[in-house]
Amino acid sequence: MVRWTALVILAAGVSYGCKDFLEDAAKPQGTLNEQTLQTKAGVEGSLIAAYRTLDWNNGVGGAWGNAASNWVWGSVTSDDAYKGSEASDQPPINDVEAYQWATADAESYLNDKWRGAYEGVVRSNATLRLLKNVTAAKPGEISAADAASIEGEALFLRAHYTFEAWRMWGNIPVYKETDSDFRKANSTAAEALAEIIKDLDAAIAKLPVASRNGQTGRVNQWVAKAYKGRVLVYGGQFPAALTILREVRTAGPYALESSYDKVWTGFKDLENGKETIFAYQASINGGEPNGNDSNYGERLNFPHGGSTLESCCGFHQPSQNLVNFYAVDAQGLPLALTDPNWNARNTNLTAATIIPVDPRLDWTVGRDGVPYKDWGKHADTWIRAPAYGGPYSPKKNVHEKASGASSSVGWVPIQLNSVNMHLFRYADLLLMLAEAEVEAGVLENARTIVNQIRARAAVTAQGPGTDRATIAVPINDSRITWANYRVGQYTTPWTSQADARTRVRYERRVELAMEGQRFFDLQRWGIAEATLNAYLAAEKTRRLYLAAAAPFATRHRYYPIPAIQIELSKVSGAERLKQNAGW
Amino acid sequence: MKKLQFVRHVWRHRRSHRFHVVGMTLLLMLGLSRPVFAQPISVTGTVTSAGGATLRGVTVRVVGSDVAVLTGAGGKYSITAPSDGSLAFTLLGQRPQTVQVGGRRQIDVTMQQMAYLEQVVVTGYSEEQRRADITGAVASVNIEAANKLTAASLLQKLDANVTGVTVDASGSPGSRSTVRIRGISSFQNNDPLYIVDGTPVQDSYINFLNPNDIASIQVLKDASTASIYGSRASNGVIIIETTKRGSVGPPRATLKVRTGIASPTRGYDDFLILDALQYHEILKRSYVNAGLPVPTNVYGDPNNPRVPSYIWPNNCNPNPCSTVNEANYSFPNNLIMKGSAGTNWWDAVFGSAFVGDYNLDVTGGGLDNAYALSFGYFDQQGTAAYNGFQRGSVRINTQFTRKKLVFGENISLSLERSNGGIPNDPGGFAEDGIIGKNILMQPVVPVRDVGGNFASGKAVGLGNQSNPLKFAWGAKDNVSRNDRIFGNLFAGFDLTPQITIRTRLGFNMGQGSFTGFAPIIPENSEPNFTNNLNENASRFTDWTWSNTIKYGKQYGSHNVSLFLGQEANRQTNRFLAAGISNLINTDLNSRFVQDALGDAATKTVTTIGGESALLSVFGKADYNFSDRYVASVTLRRDGSSNLSPDHRWGTFPAFGLGWRISQEKFLANNKLFSDVMLRFGWGVTGNQAIPSGRIVSQFGGSRGDTYYDIGGTNNTVTAGFRETSLGNKDLKWEENKSTNVGVDLALWDRKVDVVIDVYNRETNNLLFDPPIPATAGIAAPPIVNVGKMENRGIDFSIGHRASNWSVSFNGSRYKNKIVQIDGVQDFFYGPISTRFGNQVINKVGNPIGSFYGYQADGFFSDAADIAAHARQDGAAPGRIKFRDTNGDGQITLADRTIIGSPHPDLTAGLDLSYRRGDWDVSATFFGTFGNEIFDAQKEYYVFRNFSTNVRKDLLTDSWTEQNKNAKYPRLDVNDNFSRAISSFYVEDGSYVRLRNLQLGYEVPPKYLRWIPAAKLYLQAENLFTLTGYDGLDPALPAANIFGPAGDIRDQYRGIDRGSYPSSRTFSLGIITNF
Repeated sequence: MVRWTALVILAAGVSYGCKDFLEDAAKPQGTLNEQTLQTKAGVEGSLIAAYRTLDWNNGVGGAWGNAASNWVWGSVTSDDAYKGSEASDQPPINDVEAYQWATADAESYLNDKWRGAYEGVVRSNATLRLLKNVTAAKPGEISAADAASIEGEALFLRAHYTFEAWRMWGNIPVYKETDSDFRKANSTAAEALAEIIKDLDAAIAKLPVASRNGQTGRVNQWVAKAYKGRVLVYGGQFPAALTILREVRTAGPYALESSYDKVWTGFKDLENGKETIFAYQASINGGEPNGNDSNYGERLNFPHGGSTLESCCGFHQPSQNLVNFYAVDAQGLPLALTDPNWNARNTNLTAATIIPVDPRLDWTVGRDGVPYKDWGKHADTWIRAPAYGGPYSPKKNVHEKASGASSSVGWVPIQLNSVNMHLFRYADLLLMLAEAEVEAGVLENARTIVNQIRARAAVTAQGPGTDRATIAVPINDSRITWANYRVGQYTTPWTSQADARTRVRYERRVELAMEGQRFFDLQRWGIAEATLNAYLAAEKTRRLYLAAAAPFATRHRYYPIPAIQIELSKVSGAERLKQNAGW
Repeated sequence: MKKLQFVRHVWRHRRSHRFHVVGMTLLLMLGLSRPVFAQPISVTGTVTSAGGATLRGVTVRVVGSDVAVLTGAGGKYSITAPSDGSLAFTLLGQRPQTVQVGGRRQIDVTMQQMAYLEQVVVTGYSEEQRRADITGAVASVNIEAANKLTAASLLQKLDANVTGVTVDASGSPGSRSTVRIRGISSFQNNDPLYIVDGTPVQDSYINFLNPNDIASIQVLKDASTASIYGSRASNGVIIIETTKRGSVGPPRATLKVRTGIASPTRGYDDFLILDALQYHEILKRSYVNAGLPVPTNVYGDPNNPRVPSYIWPNNCNPNPCSTVNEANYSFPNNLIMKGSAGTNWWDAVFGSAFVGDYNLDVTGGGLDNAYALSFGYFDQQGTAAYNGFQRGSVRINTQFTRKKLVFGENISLSLERSNGGIPNDPGGFAEDGIIGKNILMQPVVPVRDVGGNFASGKAVGLGNQSNPLKFAWGAKDNVSRNDRIFGNLFAGFDLTPQITIRTRLGFNMGQGSFTGFAPIIPENSEPNFTNNLNENASRFTDWTWSNTIKYGKQYGSHNVSLFLGQEANRQTNRFLAAGISNLINTDLNSRFVQDALGDAATKTVTTIGGESALLSVFGKADYNFSDRYVASVTLRRDGSSNLSPDHRWGTFPAFGLGWRISQEKFLANNKLFSDVMLRFGWGVTGNQAIPSGRIVSQFGGSRGDTYYDIGGTNNTVTAGFRETSLGNKDLKWEENKSTNVGVDLALWDRKVDVVIDVYNRETNNLLFDPPIPATAGIAAPPIVNVGKMENRGIDFSIGHRASNWSVSFNGSRYKNKIVQIDGVQDFFYGPISTRFGNQVINKVGNPIGSFYGYQADGFFSDAADIAAHARQDGAAPGRIKFRDTNGDGQITLADRTIIGSPHPDLTAGLDLSYRRGDWDVSATFFGTFGNEIFDAQKEYYVFRNFSTNVRKDLLTDSWTEQNKNAKYPRLDVNDNFSRAISSFYVEDGSYVRLRNLQLGYEVPPKYLRWIPAAKLYLQAENLFTLTGYDGLDPALPAANIFGPAGDIRDQYRGIDRGSYPSSRTFSLGIITNF
């Protein structure tokens, strides 16, 4: 009897709480779930995450292909810049630069960009869905005003990320918050553009005039209007662009910074000034252990080890072609307008060679013997491999030493800084408006705008940079011994539309060089093939590795969609995504 | 250690004979249940083998009592026994014998080798079964042979000794082992289930287990045997019994000491350039061939190159540096480095290392108790500098008997400590580990600068590697610790003579910690002036409570046993990580995460955790008719907390049939076939090894990923959230169906044993997370049950044991095939890439982890050849020609194809031993055949990526107009094309290695006055390797890679990314008893 009792007790003991036993252990540990986030805080947090992808670095890797500035896709592929550094570092960019876009290396970078853009779309859509759920389930949880702004912000961000993909690939699939099939077919470029504009219209309708909560990183109605103007210009819809860009210019809150040195800066008091329409808000020392919330996408684009910055890598080096483009004539107007030999020089334009140049050269390019903001004079030892990447360093993304904008954490923290990355600034908008004015035949408006930009450029130049006060000095300051700065105005009325178009485009290059815009501008102007093949012809004698470049051809109108994404789009063995023509 | 195996599971022996046919040992005991004792007398004697060798460690037991002793040196024993009683002599692997005392005072016994089918092995739930009753595939490990090898974990050396098992491990001290049984059943988490003394554990290290404590290892290879462990058994089960229980008598001790010296089996200095000017020649040709000017900043005039006086400072004017004022040296801001005529970087980092293994066992007991204690200390220094592993362990196994109740415990405590840059492999795989690309530093770079600090390739063109010795030195105090309490408490009770109940509470509790420090690296081309400290601590608790009841009875020729059980398992873990940068004082005593000690703004703390549970019921029925027909049926049901509530429970049936043909009349007294057993088994096992909580979608975020400075403050980020992983509410069990057909043969009067098994394993509803389109976002894809995988293979062994020599040969072959991925895609790429891309594909119809890339077809010979070939970007004479596999006239990514497989066609082990007098010699060979290696290191030592050092034969065997049949393409710095992932990187990875050679000497008693016995031995491990592989070491470990659904190392094997080479170890050992 005792035996059987023991058995029964044992059996009873072991079968305790069978159901709860498994149930208790099934709960996820250390995560949030959909229910927890069904609150205002959840919606707001979701929106913040959607902003975060503006410079999306290490969520899953691919920081350089995903840089906010598009330096790989918009600058290295253009006539502005080389990959830089040395041949064996980041070899995928070699292929991108050489227009060998179908290689496995290039594909890996393209895939990073694709993933980054669509992650932005996914986060925007998640916000929209969550907002809908919360407003339906908990009326009053979010005020009507906040709800409208959140919706507008998310719609705007979705438009921005979709636009990023559209600029790259044209024929892209478009995703809305209601989509649940993630293997959709491509839309045509025109259809996709229409969807982007539709989102921007919806955003304009929802967004408040001033940024919500006074938070400067948030988009408002003016940002959306300005951005819509940009998208319309990209789409060649100049009449519509003209209307909205004029409205932004006359009624909007934007203005040019008083001088060019204030545009790209690490000084906190100068950031987010009137010229900033939309920028990635870089941040440092906020508790992120690797500096991933800084201007991370640009971190390789610093002088190399031998510099006073003790920084690394020397990527995104300005091209000789770009440096030559800053030469000006006696009137201070671009030499390229009048001198067909403007690009003949293939020598290092050091401080020893005093020629008339636009002062924006020395805010854009690090040159030997010229002060590099306040880091001392740029020297040949700052360059990693001059024979490979040329003698120049990038400069816009580099903060001033006195600004203290370096991170204190991360790998080579000096190059993780809080310099905001302009995604759209007012000078860019003005020049797009000028394009629209030219296309509308209102050439004098265009001239006024270009002159306005040039007047601002003429205010300061790189100074000796021994302290904050001397980083920027008047362009005729006697301490300037490395250049002869000159910025002239277009004093005579513009009468030829073709000339006006050229002048606006030249101004655009000089003003926005190294900001990741150039390649996309060349594409939308339809002159990429001619410009880049001419560029290659000259440049392959300067940077010998460019001899390996493929000629820029019709198929280069759009980047190839990453092959892996086409594979992943298969349904029942059939590809839903179609590759762009020629790839 | 054989002398101690006799005592395992004494209590089980005593019980099992009542309901189970368990061979002669027990049959003997059956007949002696009513002993009658006469007057006790003292009996002595000597036990020898059939060949005349004296046998130590034979149990001599007075039948019907618990009185027993072991034979000592020279096979001698002395015992007190009734003058009319009997003595039973038992030794594992030998046929037990019973001898009537008959009043004799001296009884000498000669033991006979036990027939294979009569051997007793431990199978499910610590049940012992005679081989003749087993219908599935169960392999036993020759512990003695396996234990001759020096490794922290015994698992590392199983492959040479047991069929159907492959093991990958590196030479890193304390290295993880990748043990795979009969191929690979899933895309992730393929570790077998280990049952240590009845307690389940899934672990890739098992370093906490002192190999010296292991008494037996059985590998349950097919579902018909493994399904009793249903839930976690789909990758096979390895049953490890440590039980070295004592027997009646005073404490007896065994001391084993082994010390040795290890060195790498091969070094990069065998085939890399060691001379700076030779390297310059490579550089020069690469530039000249590309039509580019040769850089002059290091060696000066390319036509008259010199080893530079200094490689740094840069541009010291004149360049290259010839005069530098060394007085200006200051660390870290003004470094000065001299040029080296030729640094041997391999030699700077790798060398010989000490190995020591010390064990003391004490056993003993009384009539109602038995105990075994063991103490072990293992110290393995790495062959790489500043790297080592130590383990101290204590084991206590005791057992008490009180009437029908038996209870006791097995507990082991172990403390492991490892230090250095690559203690547990992962660092050693990444290109940034000591070996990866760092050790491919150019020979012109000196190890140290003029100030005695570490130097590196700071100047342009010297690469961006880190000084590997600095790397090792920087990590020398990176200590990781694992403390473990592992064991169980058990009790068994005989309800009736036929029914026994048992309960066992197993526990596996551990805590671990790691402290890592990264110093500043001012000497690097990419310098960093920030130091960083990170540490973590973890703990986990895993307990399993199992309760079983067993019934056994014999009805004439029918023998039946039934077994029922119930089990609960729960695992919890928690992990805490913290870090801080810019430590003010980098002294060891100041390496703590505290605000004041570093930059408080950089301080981080994170914790994570997990929880899961399993609940199971199971049963097994065995039937044996007249020792001729055997059948068994198993059924198990498991519930897992990791799976959907609707599909939580899985059912795992199995059955097995055996026919011992040799018992049939027509085979009786057959000259050839002494014993023949045919076996058939079928069964289903399950897998639920995925992270917990994946039923629902999870949300989270981090400062670097979802937080944003929305206010434009420059230093405050606002919290953000995103979906981090997608849930699947329909998660269910992965099922592995396996069929096994086997035969056990004893030939020529049992002189030769042959075991052959053929199997087919099919995994269905395979749990994994196939990639989803990026348009769905970067959240971890849902884990789904859609894949299918298949493994087919054969295992065989053949052995012969003569009186004084023995030989055994075993071989295994499997063929792995992915049958289905997610129903839509037919492939997905490998989990990680090297610099030049992803070389791995998982594709339907091919094995997991196949190599993928272009098919290299030699080199373009001239313009005509290029014109005749499909259009290939960058085609030029001397560059690699790729095959136009799709015939579209151009080489594009679409031409990539399967170019190799890391899976061997055959793995084989050969064990030889020979004894003559007091001397014995043994050897173990291991070979793997037909596997391929993707030598990713070629990205560096052939293609000179990152300006690394290169192979010597690049100088003599690169393509030139005169040498068009070269081994390597033309040296050309502009050739960005030849290096594309292709079959050029793939090499045959077959090798045969003499794993162990041991010479032993049994010290005769006449020389021993102060100890009862001693054996001395001298051994050499990995003495030679026969291979055609051009890289460092063909024995590659599997990379340590985790995905969101778990361990995915099987998707990335056979890729040489610079892993720690195996060691050649010479050691001297002694074993004494006292």
